[in-house]
Amino acid sequence: MINLSVLVADDNPIIRKIYQKRLQETNHDVTIVNDGLQAIHEIEKRHFDVVLTDLVMPGVDGLGLLQSIKDKDPSTEVIVITGKSSIDTAVKAIKKGAIDYLEKPINFDELFLRLNKIEEMKSIIKNAEDLRDAMEFTESSAAQTIQQLEESLIKAQQKQSSINSLAKDNSLSDSEKIVQIINIISNTGS
Amino acid sequence: MIKIKDHELKKFIAYIHDVSGISFDSSKKYLIEMRLNKVLEEFSYKSYEELYHNVVNDRSKNIEKSIINAITINETLFFRDTSPFRLLEEKILPEIAKERSSNTLLNTNRAQKPLRIWSTACSTGQEVYSIAITLKKAHQAARNFSVKLIGTDISDSALCQAKSGKYNNFEIERGLDHTTLSKYFTASGGQWQVNPELRAMAEFKKCNIMKSFVYFGKFDIIFCRNVAIYFTPEDRKKLFNRLADSLSENGYLIIGSTESLTGISDRFIPKRHNNLIYYQHNKQKKTSV
Repeated sequence: MINLSVLVADDNPIIRKIYQKRLQETNHDVTIVNDGLQAIHEIEKRHFDVVLTDLVMPGVDGLGLLQSIKDKDPSTEVIVITGKSSIDTAVKAIKKGAIDYLEKPINFDELFLRLNKIEEMKSIIKNAEDLRDAMEFTESSAAQTIQQLEESLIKAQQKQSSINSLAKDNSLSDSEKIVQIINIISNTGS
Repeated sequence: MIKIKDHELKKFIAYIHDVSGISFDSSKKYLIEMRLNKVLEEFSYKSYEELYHNVVNDRSKNIEKSIINAITINETLFFRDTSPFRLLEEKILPEIAKERSSNTLLNTNRAQKPLRIWSTACSTGQEVYSIAITLKKAHQAARNFSVKLIGTDISDSALCQAKSGKYNNFEIERGLDHTTLSKYFTASGGQWQVNPELRAMAEFKKCNIMKSFVYFGKFDIIFCRNVAIYFTPEDRKKLFNRLADSLSENGYLIIGSTESLTGISDRFIPKRHNNLIYYQHNKQKKTSV
């Protein structure tokens, strides 16, 4: 579960207000700006998981913003917002790397569904990365464990064979044998 | 992705060890690079040098938090490797119940003490909630214990999710069967949340286990699975000796199935249940290193 950082760019103040109100309902960290140029300033400052942009804006339009975002950080997902008349441009945006498009007027349930999908996708990618890295550490830890156990096994076998040969040594008295065997057993460092 | 230079890598390996205890060697360059690159993006730094300079001078510790969140490997799942939970249910809880009932007969107040369980690196909380579910499913005597279940982790973002008890479908599907899911979780807005009853059993706190943790007191059971694998052998020795200090008399320690305390610490007695090795506090060895 990840809270997304979301940047919204729209030149219509009424629509910005609606975004502000509806996106407050979510757990996402939301920044709203007036146009493409301001959006570019924001993405220069920090990373966003998702950018929602109107296609038609004065100055830098949605396609121009998409280009800047993908140049800077391809992992930022872009959803373009389009009127009925500019579906062709929306398709062009998808070809250039936008993840999806939504038609005006925005159906917020649909938007939340898209954001949930992105959140789930990011979470799966993160899980896969963690799984791969954890596997690598677990494997090297297991190898070390086996190596350590092998070493202590060898030491134990060496002790056992020294004790066996001492026990069979007829030149020693029983009490001498016991003293030497105790020495071998208590010598844990070797 | 911005490439990390060798001298920058060296600085970050030392820095990461210092703040988290995690030991990377230079063979993990790709991993450090990939994970730190996210922090570069987050703060729009142009180089690892710049990131390093800023993090060591950042009094707010916000950059440090981001680095820890990025670098820690939060690989966990519900009932990850089922054997420790079976050990808990089949062996440890009945043993403790038996010991406590005999203590009650002797009229000591030990029986009233809460059962204290610690998950040392709980990540996003799955191990803690798996323990809580096991306790709920356990036999009558164990169900009557009052329980204090503590999960600690070094990553703020992992702890935040652990506290919320919210998981997405992918996280839920790994390790939970339908009966357990419907009994202990509630679906809300495309996610699942652990029921309040289980959440109330658990407490989550931030802790770097390479630093002091004596203030948490003594525990009856400590889970320290797949944590020490990220540490150097020297740090592992220190960690397990300090864990021995935090374990109550006859307390239990459960480590990962690929780990062993042979050559690491002699303050535990290895025991076996089915195919799992677990450890009990060795009262004879008192000295901490």
